[in-house]
Amino acid sequence: MTSHLRCHDVTVRFGGLLACDHISLEVEQGKIYGLIGPNGAGKTTLFNVLSRFQDPDQGELFYRDRSIGSKKAHEMVGIGMARTFQNINLFREQSTLDNILIGAHHLTCDPFSHMYSLPHAMRRERELVKRATEIAEMLNLADELDNAAKNLPYGYQKRIELARALASRPEIILLDEPVAGCNDEETAELRAVVQRINRELGVTILMVEHDMAMVMGVCDYIYVINFGANLADGTPAQIRSNPEVVSAYLGEEVAP
Amino acid sequence: MIRTAARAGPYVTASNRGAVAVLKKRFQRQNVLIFGALFVALALLPRLPGVQGWMAAQAAIVIIYIVAAQGVALLVGYTGLVTVGHGGFLAIGAYTAALLTKVYAVDMLIAIAAGGMMAAIVGMLLGLVFLRLAGPFMAIGTLGFAFFIGTVVNNAPIFEGREGISLPPMNRLLGMQIGDIGFYYVAVAVLALVTLFLYSLLRSGVGRALKALRDSERAAESSGVNRLLFRTLAFSVSACITGLAGALNGLVTHYVSAEVYADIWYSVDILVAVVVGGASMMMGPFVGGLFVVMLPFFLDQLADFAFILKGVVLILVLIFAPAGICEVVARPFVALRRRHLMKVGQASETALPKAVTVSR
Repeated sequence: MTSHLRCHDVTVRFGGLLACDHISLEVEQGKIYGLIGPNGAGKTTLFNVLSRFQDPDQGELFYRDRSIGSKKAHEMVGIGMARTFQNINLFREQSTLDNILIGAHHLTCDPFSHMYSLPHAMRRERELVKRATEIAEMLNLADELDNAAKNLPYGYQKRIELARALASRPEIILLDEPVAGCNDEETAELRAVVQRINRELGVTILMVEHDMAMVMGVCDYIYVINFGANLADGTPAQIRSNPEVVSAYLGEEVAP
Repeated sequence: MIRTAARAGPYVTASNRGAVAVLKKRFQRQNVLIFGALFVALALLPRLPGVQGWMAAQAAIVIIYIVAAQGVALLVGYTGLVTVGHGGFLAIGAYTAALLTKVYAVDMLIAIAAGGMMAAIVGMLLGLVFLRLAGPFMAIGTLGFAFFIGTVVNNAPIFEGREGISLPPMNRLLGMQIGDIGFYYVAVAVLALVTLFLYSLLRSGVGRALKALRDSERAAESSGVNRLLFRTLAFSVSACITGLAGALNGLVTHYVSAEVYADIWYSVDILVAVVVGGASMMMGPFVGGLFVVMLPFFLDQLADFAFILKGVVLILVLIFAPAGICEVVARPFVALRRRHLMKVGQASETALPKAVTVSR
């Protein structure tokens, strides 16, 4: 049991709105975690805090038991955390390959070596392209490397975002609604991909998702938040039978 | 959530990946060849019969504008920042080169390099301030900077205000006295080096990071791109290139005065060159620089009418070719290449998007 990512008592206020109210959670190494709750419960805000796009008003953040409260958003991939966004956030005009390569930005040499195309920078660039191609093959994007992201279907774009996150060689990925807006086929694809990333690459995953079949199917452990506060946590089976969760979020129909 | 329409554009299904890669390489070689041919032509220009010194000087001024526009295009095209104050960097380059030449009688290569360096340093410091401002506010900030430089060179005694700094009638290159044709070659060499450098920068990881920041700051930052570092770098490099042009501009006319450099006209002219030519294509500044310098030159009989015409062209370009003249000219060629790629990509099999074969 090694703690990979932990937050304690995170509180975020937007004016009078309490987006996160003393939320605590702990993510263990190598597992898939779910974060669920009704709309407006503070899930995305918590993600933004964890990926350092948002400073909490109160609370502590730890990555492998080291405090990350003072890190900046662009420093997070350097320590091993990548994320995706709820609304696809790709570089739309650029090719799939360039989109994936940006994920490997922190693995490039210093800017000056790249600006002048020095030999060691060129060599590194070739390595990164090779790895990006491998990732594209794993996510079944290899045939689309030359195409602008904006020309690709929705499910492809979702996978490109995942590929970009993977290109940074992360130890943990924060997925913000990975299958939102996908049809059944695309959902099945992404679900398989997420499990592969976890099993084959050993990447810890924390995901926000509303697709209960997906969450219950892939997650090892689930946190439920409601009105910005911890409501419950447990294994999928425990969550499904928790009366509080059922009344606040799942609804009566979703009996086990 | 809005679902994007499937496959809006021409679409390469590269089931024949090897052949596509070969073809892409060939296209890239063609691009390089076009620029190579252009520079060979530029180098041979003074050899044409009937070329006189003043023509070489005029051509050098075109080249100076192209270099200045390349500096601005890096910002406008690849970082999405708009600057209306790059005349300030032109002035910094010009005054640095002129003062060094006048006071220390340095070689012109040193004067040019120093002009670029000085602009780069000022650009870096300004970048740290300006890049905290968003969009239009930054444009106003750079305008303020151009006015500031104008006021300084008008009033600080060392810059000799409207009297101006006069330089010796011949420039000195590696101990030789060179005239207009010699100077033209130096300008071509600077243009070649800047073009090569930009080519290298834009296809490297740095160019990728800049474009990423331009398209989505949030996604770029979450991918580890340090926004302040890369924006400042771009601003500084852009200032440096425009500063090089400024140094050349001071040396080619042998005279630097506040009369010329305190005006923000230069800033506007360079920006117009970038917009007309096209900011995000390597060839854009070439076309824009030629346009901005040669239009008034050919129409000097018409005096103010040339300015009006410039304005009219600018408006027409903004309406009909917002990405610049180069983009319009290149469009059919790009489409042709795209078709070629599609044909080669699909040559081996009828490629449909394969079903995902990831096992559970």
